[in-house]
Amino acid sequence: MSLIKQNAQPKLVIPQTGAPANRLVSTRSGGKMVKDYWDRLFSARERGATVVWYNGAALNPIFQAAGIEWCHGEAFGARLAAMHLEGPAQRMGEEYGYNQELCSYARTTLGCAVLTQKEAAKYVNAGDGADVPDIPSQEVLASKLPPPDLFVNAYAGCSTGQQWDEISYRLFNKELPFFKVSYPLLWGNKADAGYLRGEEWMEASRYVAAQIHKLIEFLEFHTGRPFDWDALRESMHYIKKAAQLRLDALALCKATPTPAVFWDWVASIAPINFLPGNQDLVDYFAGVKAEIEQRVIDGVAALPGERYRLAFDGIMNWNKVGWLANQFADHDAAVICGRYTHSSFWNEPHLIDEDDPILGMAQHYLLCPFNHSTKTLGELLLRDCETYGIDGVVFHATRTCRSASNGQMVMAKMAQARGIQTMVLEGDVADASFYKDEILMSRLEAMLETIDVRRRNF
Amino acid sequence: MNGADKINLILGELAGVASDPHGYAAAWKQETGRKVIGVFPMNFPSELVHAAGALPLVVQEDEAPITLGRSLLYEFYCGYTRSIVDQAATRKFDVYDAFYLVDHCVALLGAADALRFEIPDKPVFLAQYTASMDEAWTPAEIRKRVEDLRGALAEYCDAALSDDEIAASIAAYNRNRDMLRQIYALRRSGKIALTGRQMQILVKSSMIMEVGAHNERLDALLPLLETGLPAPANLVKLHLSGHFCHAPRPELLDMIEDCGTVIVDDDLFTGFRFIATDVPADGDPIAALTRWYFDRNTHVPCSTRSQMTVDWEEYLARSVHASGAEGVIILLAKFCEPHMLYYPELRKELMRSEIPHLLIETEHEGLALEMLRTRVEALLETIRLRKLQPVLA
Repeated sequence: MSLIKQNAQPKLVIPQTGAPANRLVSTRSGGKMVKDYWDRLFSARERGATVVWYNGAALNPIFQAAGIEWCHGEAFGARLAAMHLEGPAQRMGEEYGYNQELCSYARTTLGCAVLTQKEAAKYVNAGDGADVPDIPSQEVLASKLPPPDLFVNAYAGCSTGQQWDEISYRLFNKELPFFKVSYPLLWGNKADAGYLRGEEWMEASRYVAAQIHKLIEFLEFHTGRPFDWDALRESMHYIKKAAQLRLDALALCKATPTPAVFWDWVASIAPINFLPGNQDLVDYFAGVKAEIEQRVIDGVAALPGERYRLAFDGIMNWNKVGWLANQFADHDAAVICGRYTHSSFWNEPHLIDEDDPILGMAQHYLLCPFNHSTKTLGELLLRDCETYGIDGVVFHATRTCRSASNGQMVMAKMAQARGIQTMVLEGDVADASFYKDEILMSRLEAMLETIDVRRRNF
Repeated sequence: MNGADKINLILGELAGVASDPHGYAAAWKQETGRKVIGVFPMNFPSELVHAAGALPLVVQEDEAPITLGRSLLYEFYCGYTRSIVDQAATRKFDVYDAFYLVDHCVALLGAADALRFEIPDKPVFLAQYTASMDEAWTPAEIRKRVEDLRGALAEYCDAALSDDEIAASIAAYNRNRDMLRQIYALRRSGKIALTGRQMQILVKSSMIMEVGAHNERLDALLPLLETGLPAPANLVKLHLSGHFCHAPRPELLDMIEDCGTVIVDDDLFTGFRFIATDVPADGDPIAALTRWYFDRNTHVPCSTRSQMTVDWEEYLARSVHASGAEGVIILLAKFCEPHMLYYPELRKELMRSEIPHLLIETEHEGLALEMLRTRVEALLETIRLRKLQPVLA
């Protein structure tokens, strides 16, 4: 890190410990749960299961209760990117005609769709005794998704999300049933509008809830089975418990130094986003909470040399999670909270009525962290900054995601007005080619130095 | 004054309006003392604003380079949205009293929200139209949004906004669209020689000018055009496709025509897409404006909408066949996601139908005209070779 030099003042030397981070141990079991989930999904065809491809909101409890298996498009795109296996799918998308500036989640999963069709064709052709298309081994994972039996789209906050599934539907020759849930953006025309309040909020909640009921009718029709409402209530019982445990654990990170960081919470996104609602999910988050509680008791910090407390705004950058975690740790910068981890994924469990969960579920779908006005986003950011004692905010300007990038420059101005430092990290959700590592490092160092100067002067 | 001079006089006046929308709006405001309301593309029912006594002005991209707007929106947003925030930040939006929109484009909403921050004294009202057209409950939802608009505009403009007033505005706009479609039909048939730039002026000025005044100009123009000279027959006929929300630069259209082409048809937003569909003239005007939203997508499909039973690519191939166009140039505004997503579907259909085509990506700043000229010439070579193939064989 460079040094700050100022005339007539002693030189400010910032020691940098860069001590290794203490990653949570309990989140490792989440990784295994997620892997098991995908491995099981890959065999859905062989097991004769009905498979839905869906995008957007966490509709998995609905699918679980309908007795069908679910493949979340973004989740699979994120998984490929996190495993650095997104290349074949993205190349296939590019070959098909998708521009690199298009949402990289969409490009990845549409590329997967093309590969999945190729893979399916391979089996058909092999059965016919025809030539087997040559699919290179590196494309195996990207082509392993079981072909869908139906599509459900439920993308809040992003017009591209719905258009992307419209294209998925066309890629499969417009032959599969397709249901769309539409969401109003929580814009706030009226004076009483705000986070979880106002006439618009309630009207939007009822509108989405009505569509969820229609979705259930759609699933009943296509599965030929009555929807299992008791199974939904049971699943939402577990999800509500798990969500509350997650919130309790997040709140423990107000401690200084913090016992867990944003990167630990990133590891817990998949379980809360799309794993089945059951006792395993509750046990997982109980384990995470217990580990953090013990750390607080024992005085164990996530970063032994914590010197800066930062917030991360925007969507995840799946190709770079580990790399970013190390870079911030090397600079003793504890990233403590973030929009994607803290303002999403069943983050208001009190809204869920276990006996009649649809309205509360609809409200959570509306609470997608990209479905708010900038004013609300700014207020939530400032709330988190105050809650967690944040010194600076890192905004992830996500090259191919306008949805996650909307409002950020205004939010930065709102944070700056409160004396909070800000910086922009240029990257992308699932395309590593948009990263500019050196620019990130120099901006991070500049921000941390500014925080030091401010501390010294005030 | 002969017919050509009269045509040039009218087109000249409309070109002035198209190139200086804020100047026109300021003059109109001074003359009438009424409100100017900026409306954002692509599905806003301007009839409601007109019926409320205000001037609905479809906010246009500005040619100025983006400067202060850079502090409100990242560079990876389309030129239109970056231009909107830049115009707000550079105080070019002073003439507007408020802004209204119905479209749920993620980039447009980001820009509109930045607008709220930058010019907080001007209301920005969103009546979000559901983009998915397939569901049985969508029409009722759209009707609610139309009613929301009616209520909000009545309150804001202190107007009654009666059924009769809305119906009168619908009639005026239908007449405007009808006359513009007549000009399109003349162009398709080759009976008139109207350049791409001139066609754009006609449509763009209709987005800005008070509809009654625009109708007067078209009333005078149409008979003059009908008696004018036909388009030269030896040029390669092209269809221009795409370019949502804002107009492609006229110099790009000039260059395409300079290469030896004539543009016979288009589905550009600042083109046929904008004027293709009338609002049903009879009955409840709110029901009619609701119906119009759905009709627009079945008449000229748009990839910003989600509708399983409608295909833009089929429409495009049909249009090309109907106009006798020999090739298609797809104009894609950089970073326009609905267009980027749909492009492979268009490409597949054009290839299947053996229609030569070229994709040109446009940007707000920088138009490499000479490089693009080479690509257009390559397309024309392909078309000419195809024409010669029966002879060569």
